[in-house]
Amino acid sequence: MNMQTTSRQTAAEAALIDAFNQHVGDLPGNGAVISARDRLVDDLKTNGLPTRRVEAWHYTDLKTLLRALPAMQPAGLVAAPAPLVETASVIVMQDGHADGKASVEGVVVGTFDAMLREGTAAPGLSVIDGDDTIGKINGSFVRDGYVLEFPEGVEIEQPIEIQALHGAGQIHTRFPVSFGAASKATVIERHVATTDGQAFVSSVSDISLEDGADVTWIVLQEQGSSDTHLGQVRIRVGADAKLRLFVINAGGKLVRQELRVDVAGEGADLQLRGVNLLGGDTHTDVTLVLGHNVPNTTSTEIFRNVVFDRARGVFQGMIKVALDAQKTDARMACNTLLMSDDAEFAAKPELEIFADDVQCGHGATVADIDDNHLYYLMARGIPRSKARAMLVNAFVAEIVEELDDEALVEALETVISGWLERHA
Amino acid sequence: MAAVQETIDQVRQIDVDQYKYGFETEIEVEKAPKGLSEEIIRFISAKKQEPDWMLEWRLDAYRRWLTMEEPGWARVDYPRIDFNDIYYYAAPKTTSGPKSLDEVDPELLKVYEKLGIPLKEQEILAGVDKPRVAVDAVFDSVSVVTTFKKELAKAGVIFMSISEAVREHPELVKKYLGSVVPTTDNYYATLNSAVFTDGSFVYVPKGVRCPMELSTYFRINEKNTGQFERTLIIADEGAYVSYLEGCTAPQRDENQLHAAVVELVALDDAEIKYSTVQNWYPGDKQGKGGIYNFVTKRGDCRGDRSKISWTQVETGSAITWKYPSCILRGDDSRGEFYSIAVSNGHQQIDSGTKMIHLGKNTSSRIISKGIAAGVSQNTYRGQVSAHRKATNARNFTQCDSLLIGDRCGAHTVPYIEAKNSSAQFEHEATTSKISEDQLFYCLQRGIPEEAAIALIVNGFVKEVIQELPMEFAVEAQKLIGISLEGSVG
Amino acid sequence: MLEIKNLHARIAEDGTEIIRGLNLTVKAGEVAAIMGPNGSGKSTLSYILSGREDYEVTEGEILYNGENILELDPAERAAKGIFLAFQYPVEIPGVATMQFLKVAMNEQRKARGEAELTTPDFMRRVKEAAAELKINPDMLKRPLNVGFSGGEKKRAEILQMALLEPKLCVLDETDSGLDIDALKIVADGVNALKSPDRATIVITHYQRLLDYIVPDTVHVLYKGQIIRTGDKSLALELEANGYADIIGEAA
Repeated sequence: MNMQTTSRQTAAEAALIDAFNQHVGDLPGNGAVISARDRLVDDLKTNGLPTRRVEAWHYTDLKTLLRALPAMQPAGLVAAPAPLVETASVIVMQDGHADGKASVEGVVVGTFDAMLREGTAAPGLSVIDGDDTIGKINGSFVRDGYVLEFPEGVEIEQPIEIQALHGAGQIHTRFPVSFGAASKATVIERHVATTDGQAFVSSVSDISLEDGADVTWIVLQEQGSSDTHLGQVRIRVGADAKLRLFVINAGGKLVRQELRVDVAGEGADLQLRGVNLLGGDTHTDVTLVLGHNVPNTTSTEIFRNVVFDRARGVFQGMIKVALDAQKTDARMACNTLLMSDDAEFAAKPELEIFADDVQCGHGATVADIDDNHLYYLMARGIPRSKARAMLVNAFVAEIVEELDDEALVEALETVISGWLERHA
Repeated sequence: MAAVQETIDQVRQIDVDQYKYGFETEIEVEKAPKGLSEEIIRFISAKKQEPDWMLEWRLDAYRRWLTMEEPGWARVDYPRIDFNDIYYYAAPKTTSGPKSLDEVDPELLKVYEKLGIPLKEQEILAGVDKPRVAVDAVFDSVSVVTTFKKELAKAGVIFMSISEAVREHPELVKKYLGSVVPTTDNYYATLNSAVFTDGSFVYVPKGVRCPMELSTYFRINEKNTGQFERTLIIADEGAYVSYLEGCTAPQRDENQLHAAVVELVALDDAEIKYSTVQNWYPGDKQGKGGIYNFVTKRGDCRGDRSKISWTQVETGSAITWKYPSCILRGDDSRGEFYSIAVSNGHQQIDSGTKMIHLGKNTSSRIISKGIAAGVSQNTYRGQVSAHRKATNARNFTQCDSLLIGDRCGAHTVPYIEAKNSSAQFEHEATTSKISEDQLFYCLQRGIPEEAAIALIVNGFVKEVIQELPMEFAVEAQKLIGISLEGSVG
Repeated sequence: MLEIKNLHARIAEDGTEIIRGLNLTVKAGEVAAIMGPNGSGKSTLSYILSGREDYEVTEGEILYNGENILELDPAERAAKGIFLAFQYPVEIPGVATMQFLKVAMNEQRKARGEAELTTPDFMRRVKEAAAELKINPDMLKRPLNVGFSGGEKKRAEILQMALLEPKLCVLDETDSGLDIDALKIVADGVNALKSPDRATIVITHYQRLLDYIVPDTVHVLYKGQIIRTGDKSLALELEANGYADIIGEAA
């Protein structure tokens, strides 16, 4: 129950409404899109940003945390960084704009800007539920993104990297992606800051896996130390489809990464993995809502968090098993290492179960590095600090090692060890 | 509590439904007019011959309550309560306050006899092999009798109704009342602070190990009456006390409100063990009637090396909203929470605990076993938090749910908050159903289905049952079996 | 004692037919061995005899002492004296073995209209039977089958059999997972229970167990039917030549 008493509008709330009023004229979209945007903005106006009284935002009081909004100030074109995996096909977003000429062999590539103009984007400019603030913000402001369509049966060998390069200002992107039946692919959704300027980014990936699709989707968030990143991955998983979803947070000042997964086809199998590398004076929230909505589906979720400095981390993970979703097998684990006395972590792993013939469980731990392991390494002559670093690295790197693409594993391990070296 | 087993069996036979304590007793009562106002609070306070400070305390709470909103975050669903349609005070007429057993209305004694609650000291003494239990019997709004008072006084233990304590030990009540659950704590606790009518008071002095188990037995009898009891237990340095609480109510079509507050204070090296078997009327098969059990229970491990342990067996009530908690303030203090929550029919339970680690080297342990059957909803909600200065805080949580039938729900909502890098928290939760293999195995050995389920369920809750005092454990096991009757097929 | 006539049965969930016209007669006092290759329906037969709901009888009947038992639930069949020693005994956490034994014995007695056992009487019986099977009494305080070794589990099954005094014992692959010493103890336990009014069905894959529990009759089960019946020499023949010949004949 979210009884929200209307309180005074904050500066950020006012700035959001102002930004909309100012730019409504130049936001792309036909009539249907404009009315969809209007509804969402009205909702924002009436309800404001969520506070801790809204259960889904209990540990991320956006109303308080989001103090101001940077002005719109595109940075202009920058050189794209090297892709994570050398052989990847790269498509680039610059300051929230897609390249109309981008292409990937075997995949139908379009832009969200075009969808907005045609009006086909309108139905998607909706919220999943009343707590879907990211959906509201993104739906109101989104300008562009890539639309990817993987035809039935297509197998794309090399990873596809979507590079979302963010300068300063307000950037809102959306990626509708459909994987046809029995298609197979790996997609990396990479958010990178290109300037030190403050950015306010919202990004929604709206993904569907048709029956038997086999997909690896990786979100790598490396925003700048003054950036706000509101990310959302909406996924519908069809029958016998296989999804590996990896989320790595290694940047940003205020981050909320939502994963909203609808397991909608029997025989579907999901592996969700998350790594949160948190440091400085930051706040990072990963919120997962996983609905097992049909019988005979399985999932495992493992999240590893390392928290340095004065960083605050949040993990909310809800597994919902619907009334008829018998034989669901779902397991979730959230493990956290607190590396400093000022670091904080809050975990809320939830089970909401309405079917009886299920096996569900979750585990959560908060702890320091195992003394026995530390002692063992030191006994082999490795100095304490080095030994600690090795163990912390192993704690998170373990997660990405599960990917079967060696080049990808190596690339992600480099990201992780690079981050740790800068923070430890 | 199993002392008068035969009587319990008789009562069971009388009852038409599965709830064994649903009988009503015709007792002449004195009631305050329906509704809530400053006048009513003055009336209650006057009835109890309270000093002015107590009245002021109540009025303060009442004024605060008027500004508060009913909480809506729990996973329970019920129509709005009309707080002006409730009697806030109902007392058996013959009882103007607790007195000796000889003076208690024999009708009342019969009620307790029927419930299997031993009130007659001589009879208890006669049963040599049974451990003795001192009882404070609370009937609707008042305590009707407290047994073994004299013997306890010899050990220095004060055990009396809270109304009596307000008059006889104002210095202790003043010092501790509201010090764990402040009058402003939450909607129901604030309401309770304004209108509480009776409850138990326990003070165990320095270094004293309470010579027997203490217990309170709560009975709601009157229609449309709320029960708002207040219990305050203080274990002074090095003291130990084990306290039991039981409760029942008649079967009625209307819902009745029970909003209690229990405060525990453990000073240095003290230990309090608080056990509850909650068996308020749960409503009928269609979900009609039953008690709304909105309770605030909190223990303050105020002293170093103190320990508070909550054990609860929750089988009754239409709605349960209850989170017995521990504030681990003292260094090296320890909190424990052992819970069995059984829901059947249309019952809704949202229960759990909070372990708030404030002191150094504090530890806590949570074992929660939820069993949902029928069309009930059973939620575990628990918070474990280590504050900035809570160096070496430790928590272990095991939280298991069992589903019987496919129309019920089991939910787990833990909040785990670490603000200290030396904290070590471990939380495990599982949800599953009784395995077909286990059930078939039992059946093959000739154990009928309901007995087999009771057996498997009792195995599932064993870890918690073990924490109960012996006599309670036996009762609790039976109660779980009874609560799940009719849950199969 | 047991007469199975033209039994057809399938898995309730997916309709796969497992038993296809099985006929079998076992007399009081008899030890009957049922052998057959993997997947022939051996374990299914034991579940159907004991009334597991996962299987559906579509045709035929099972007469136990002349009474058709198909409509009885597993507990009723157990009370009438049908006992199944499981291939994989189930673990039941929190339920002490002792407690389980007492509930099972008394429920069966109740169902038969007999008086419940007094605690001392119960204890005496358990101690005696445990000693026979070389079961450490401490094991009986532990939760049923939880953390028991393979041998301990099988011994606990035979202990239950001894205490429940069934009329028809069905041993499902009781030899699996046992070393030779444990096998001897278990077999001795079974043999000690042999009596003129008790029948035993030994379901096994291998001849090995039949060296210790000597059968009066041996039946070969294949594709849900008894395709050959003989005396104990049949088991030796199978041991020497395998199932291929017999299956070939039947086909």
